[in-house]
This record gives sequence, C-alpha cells and structure tokens, in this order.
Amino acid sequence: MGLLENRFDDNVVVEKLDKLLSWARSTSPWFFQFGTACCAIEMMAAAASRHDLMRIGIIPRSSPRQADVMIVAGTVTMKMALRVKKLYEQMADPKYVVAMGSCATSGGPYWQHGYHVLKGVDLVIPVDVYVPGCPPRPEALIEGLLKLQEQILEGRPLTRKTG
Amino acid sequence: MSEDKQKLINDAVEKALAGDADAVNNIEDRVTRAKAKAALVKAQREQPKKEDSNDDASKPDEKEPPVSNNTVQKVSASLAAKFPKSLDGEQNSDWIQLKPENWFEIAKWLKDNPDFYFDSLQCNTGFDLGEGLLESRYNFHSMKHLHCVEIRIRVSAEKPDIPSVESLWRVADWFERETYDMFGINFTGHSDLRRILLPEDWEGWPLRKDYEEQETYHGIVVPKVKEGWE
Repeated sequence: MGLLENRFDDNVVVEKLDKLLSWARSTSPWFFQFGTACCAIEMMAAAASRHDLMRIGIIPRSSPRQADVMIVAGTVTMKMALRVKKLYEQMADPKYVVAMGSCATSGGPYWQHGYHVLKGVDLVIPVDVYVPGCPPRPEALIEGLLKLQEQILEGRPLTRKTG
Repeated sequence: MSEDKQKLINDAVEKALAGDADAVNNIEDRVTRAKAKAALVKAQREQPKKEDSNDDASKPDEKEPPVSNNTVQKVSASLAAKFPKSLDGEQNSDWIQLKPENWFEIAKWLKDNPDFYFDSLQCNTGFDLGEGLLESRYNFHSMKHLHCVEIRIRVSAEKPDIPSVESLWRVADWFERETYDMFGINFTGHSDLRRILLPEDWEGWPLRKDYEEQETYHGIVVPKVKEGWE
C-alpha cells in the first residue's frame, strides 16, 4: 500500500469503485411487486412485519420505473406473458428477475394441461434466481433474494469484459 | 313424604296427562292433591318442550321449497302449449330441452309471464357433448316465486348459432361472452360478442374436445413434450 499510505485521514476505507457500486446495488434491490397468483400472498407476507424484507434493504415498489428486481410471483398466462415482457423492458438497468414458485419457473401444475399458461417465465425474460415451491414460504423467498444479493455483489459493473 | 303418597301422585299425574282430569282432583288429602297438581303442572311444562324439540327436528322436511321438478313440468307443459315446435326431443322432469330457433321469444315469455317470472339468470355455460354437438345451458330463478328451471339448447358445432338473451338479462352479456370464448357458440344478436378471458388473437375454442394447442403464441414457444407429471 505504498502509494496510499498516510494519504488519508482515519475512518476512510479505500476500495475499488466497481465493488462499491455492486455493494450499493446489492444492499438495496427494490423489487417490482408482480403478483399474478397465490405466490403474491407469500411475497406480501415476506414484505410485511414478521419477515420484514426491509431489514435487508428490499422495499416493494409498484412501478417498474422505480424497481431493480422483478419478482414474478405466480402463474403467468399467455395473455400476461406479453405484459410481463413489456414491463420488464420498462425497468431501468441494472435489472434482475426472480421467478417465484413452480408456475413462474416451469408452469407448475399447469405444465401438462394448462393450454393458457406460459411454461416458465424464462421463455420471455431472463431469470436470475428461481425459487421453487408451491407457493414457497417467505423464508424461501428471502433465501432466494439473499442469493440474488450475493450474485449482485459478485458483479463488476465497471469492468469491461474483453475477448 | 311416604312412598305411598308419592306413588299416588305419580299415578294421578300420569292419568291426568293421558286425559283424565279428575284423577288429580279426586285425591282426598288436600296436601297430596296440591302436590299432585304442582307435579302435573311441572310435567305439562316439560311435555310441550319435548314436542317443540321434535317439531324443530321435523320442520326442515316440511319447509323444503316445492320440488323443482314440478316447476320444470309446469313450464314444460306451458311451453308445449304455447311454442309447440320448440321442444327438442323427449322431455324429462329435470330440465327442458329446446331448439335454438325461437329461443329469444321463449326467453322473453319466461321472463314476462306472471306465472313463472324468471327474473334472474343465474348461470349460462357451455358443454361439448362430443359427436359435433354443443350445448348451452341456462339456469333461471324467480325471485318472486322462488322456483327455478334449467333450459338446455343443443346446436351443431358446424353452425353453433343461438339467439342471445343479453337484452333480457344484462348478466347474460358476460356469461355469453365466456361461453363464446370457450366453446365458440355464436350468440346472434349480442351487442358485444368478444373473447372475455383469452386474448383477442387467440386461435381455437379451448374447451371443445377437439381443441389443439397452438405451437407458438406471439413468438413464445409452447413446449410439445410434456412429461414428468404423471
């Protein structure tokens, strides 16, 4: 640390800007509440006082413009699939997607006979974290969101990939 | 009190309850007579209660609404007299099978006729009977007479035209749109016959038996191999 030594006051941390950015992003991924079915109830429970997502910096937003993470909570029908895509496109970068529950990950119970159900939301938008369960409990969703935070923390937004 | 007197009182009360009023009055001893009368009053007070509870148990049976089959037969008979050519095939006591041609006039008559006054359309749904036959079923209820009837109208899948009753019952608007959405039954005269649940550009009628899923929808692939849930 020869160059930086004794150049700053106490209580100053020196770190790469890259890491600072990803740390800031990972600690406040506000999510776009996209509840389409029963998983939405568990998502609401996760955000409510008992599980309290706000203590890990996660706040529900009702507009795609203000959100970083889209939690697709519930069955996505073919009719809704086009809207999901449109809303995802309306979100500002950087944006992440959590597919919550069996329906959003694979079509769930509608896999075989649901003529109207999208078989997994990853057919229309890129998904970062899949949370299995039907519906997953709030603890499972929190686990998924913590995984997402780890993923964001590993990201290097300013580093350009070469090759 | 001695056992003899108690027995006397009990016997007198039993007799009095059976209808012999003098049995108590004929007791000579005043005190015993008074006690017997008190016991009789007590017994009488308990007895009607028992009858009441019996009545409660039996009341639901008595108060059941008139058997709906009667209404169906009544409506069916009136229909046969007024619209003799509209009944479709053999009738039974559970529902009325109609031909689609005069359906609007019949529906108007069912609604306006003071004897039936079916002012509430409770449900309209469709059925695919297979063999190229579709059926639309209507459940009517009368708020005034508290009776109900089921009407079934059968049409061929090639020409599934049934007159709309949307202008008679406003609720039929969405009912018929749903039946149209799922079975493709064409309700002629409906003011706004569009799909109600599925998107506008959906192909096919999903609750028909010969429905086949589309392979792609707006570029979204619908997986063909669907195993793993059996």
